[in-house]
Amino acid sequence: MDYAFLKVTAGAIATFALYSILFKENSFYRFFEHVFLGLAAGYSMVAIWQDTLYENWWLKMFGQPATATATEVAGYWPYALLVPIGLMGYFVFSKKNNWMSRIPIGILLGLWSGQQITNWWRTFGPQILGSMKPIIPNDFSRFTVPAQSVRDASGALTPLPPDQLEIIQNTVYPSVAISNVVFLVTLLSAMSYFIFSYEVKGKFMTGLNTVGRWMLMMGFGAIFGNTVMARFALVIDRMAYVFIEWGQQNLLRVLGGG
Amino acid sequence: MSIAERMMNVDRRILYMILAVVVSGALFIPVNIPATPDDSSAGVYVGLSEIPQDKVLLIQSDWTLSTRGENLGHFEALLRVVMGQNRKFVLYSLADPQAPQVARDALRVLNAERKDRGLEPYILGQDYLDLGFFPNAENTAQAMGSNLRNLWANRKTKSPNGEIDIWQSPVLQGVSKIEDIGALVVVTASNTIDIAIQRLSDKVTIICMCTGVTGPTVLPYFSTGQLKGLAIGLKGVYDMELLMTYGMNDPASGENKITNPKYGVAPKLENSNTYGRGRQYYGALHGALALIILAIVLGNVAMLTAKKAEAA
Repeated sequence: MDYAFLKVTAGAIATFALYSILFKENSFYRFFEHVFLGLAAGYSMVAIWQDTLYENWWLKMFGQPATATATEVAGYWPYALLVPIGLMGYFVFSKKNNWMSRIPIGILLGLWSGQQITNWWRTFGPQILGSMKPIIPNDFSRFTVPAQSVRDASGALTPLPPDQLEIIQNTVYPSVAISNVVFLVTLLSAMSYFIFSYEVKGKFMTGLNTVGRWMLMMGFGAIFGNTVMARFALVIDRMAYVFIEWGQQNLLRVLGGG
Repeated sequence: MSIAERMMNVDRRILYMILAVVVSGALFIPVNIPATPDDSSAGVYVGLSEIPQDKVLLIQSDWTLSTRGENLGHFEALLRVVMGQNRKFVLYSLADPQAPQVARDALRVLNAERKDRGLEPYILGQDYLDLGFFPNAENTAQAMGSNLRNLWANRKTKSPNGEIDIWQSPVLQGVSKIEDIGALVVVTASNTIDIAIQRLSDKVTIICMCTGVTGPTVLPYFSTGQLKGLAIGLKGVYDMELLMTYGMNDPASGENKITNPKYGVAPKLENSNTYGRGRQYYGALHGALALIILAIVLGNVAMLTAKKAEAA
């Protein structure tokens, strides 16, 4: 038995333990749940020091001596001032001095708030611009978008030349206009559902509101479907781990004396 | 108890067992399920192929073992493309301290794969950099956009020539700011793609590979061009594997050619494994979905039958 086999076997046992909750509540599951939590917390502490604090703070504060391949780097003592500011965060547990915890929180909030205007525009600006879609056709010569690929001599599909593609992609055919109208109705109706500033009255507004609710429900349905697929992917991966990575590639190898 | 009532009262553990059997069985029979790569997945493959060869990639690996079923497939497909095209890359994480290690483990497996094919493995400090985990994703991304040199100042890396400053490494030659980067590829299971879009989308091309759960909320970014490409969930992995195998609009693939008029030619990947977890898991996913649809149909039929019998 080698280290690789022991490692994969430990993973397989942990998988069995965590899935055992599906049968019923048991101490085998509880034990591994606590092992997992402890490992995750312990690992994160070490990783934060090794990958983050040591590289980004400790070395920058104390500097680094010259080596055969790197020049000396001078330390920068003001990094030490971050320690008391960070420690102030723990005063959140003190009834008397919890005002001190608001200092680091305030710094973080200030940094975050200052970024929000540009962040908002970079997130939603292109989406607002992308929502401006033409709803009036500019070419009635045909209803649908023409094929953008043709079959070559071998029978395989080949895209049209770029200039022809550009013309097609810039033309609003009636079918494109209908799609854009559907998009616009969905956008406006879904937005109308979130009008809370005044009472929604009248046939048009309540109708739009109802359409908006239906559109949202369809959206949530699609998101839920994606979530189900994602969860299945996780189960499939665990089964692959147990039966292929552990069973086929490791257990059979060890049993076969490999 | 009637059959309908029995069907509605099936022990859930039996359903779990059937699911495990169906999924496990399908894993041992990898099948090529016919599929057309989505526009968004094609954007990932074509986007990566269009990046000039001398440009370095930033790979932001923000996933851990909790989403291994999807993100490991994404990460492996991404690295197969990147390594198959002999590109240099910088690896780092913003979401979780555990994320760098799972990425290193995956990279080790892919390096072994290259060795088996007689190719040179990727070497730390020479072909790629591993910068580990940066906490506070928002401010780190902001700092990357403002002054990349300052953010990564004085960081060291192991290399074939001993420990060196990362800026002396061949990986970062020609890079002084984020605009010098070929593309930022975010492999994520969380909202770190939103953070990247908010802070870096006007400075660097962004490509995303995300889980099925986050996919629908990220998709608008692709529709508006904020993302060059987006591979979502297991379908995204399978799409990438198809594109690696046949390329995009690549005449060399003959009658198997994948065609999409929205994109130019992106050649298929030579000298690399192109099928991986996508092909292995995709059949099992179909089995699981067929099972859940069957269970929903049977459950409803049983409920209606029981109601009818009750009314009679």
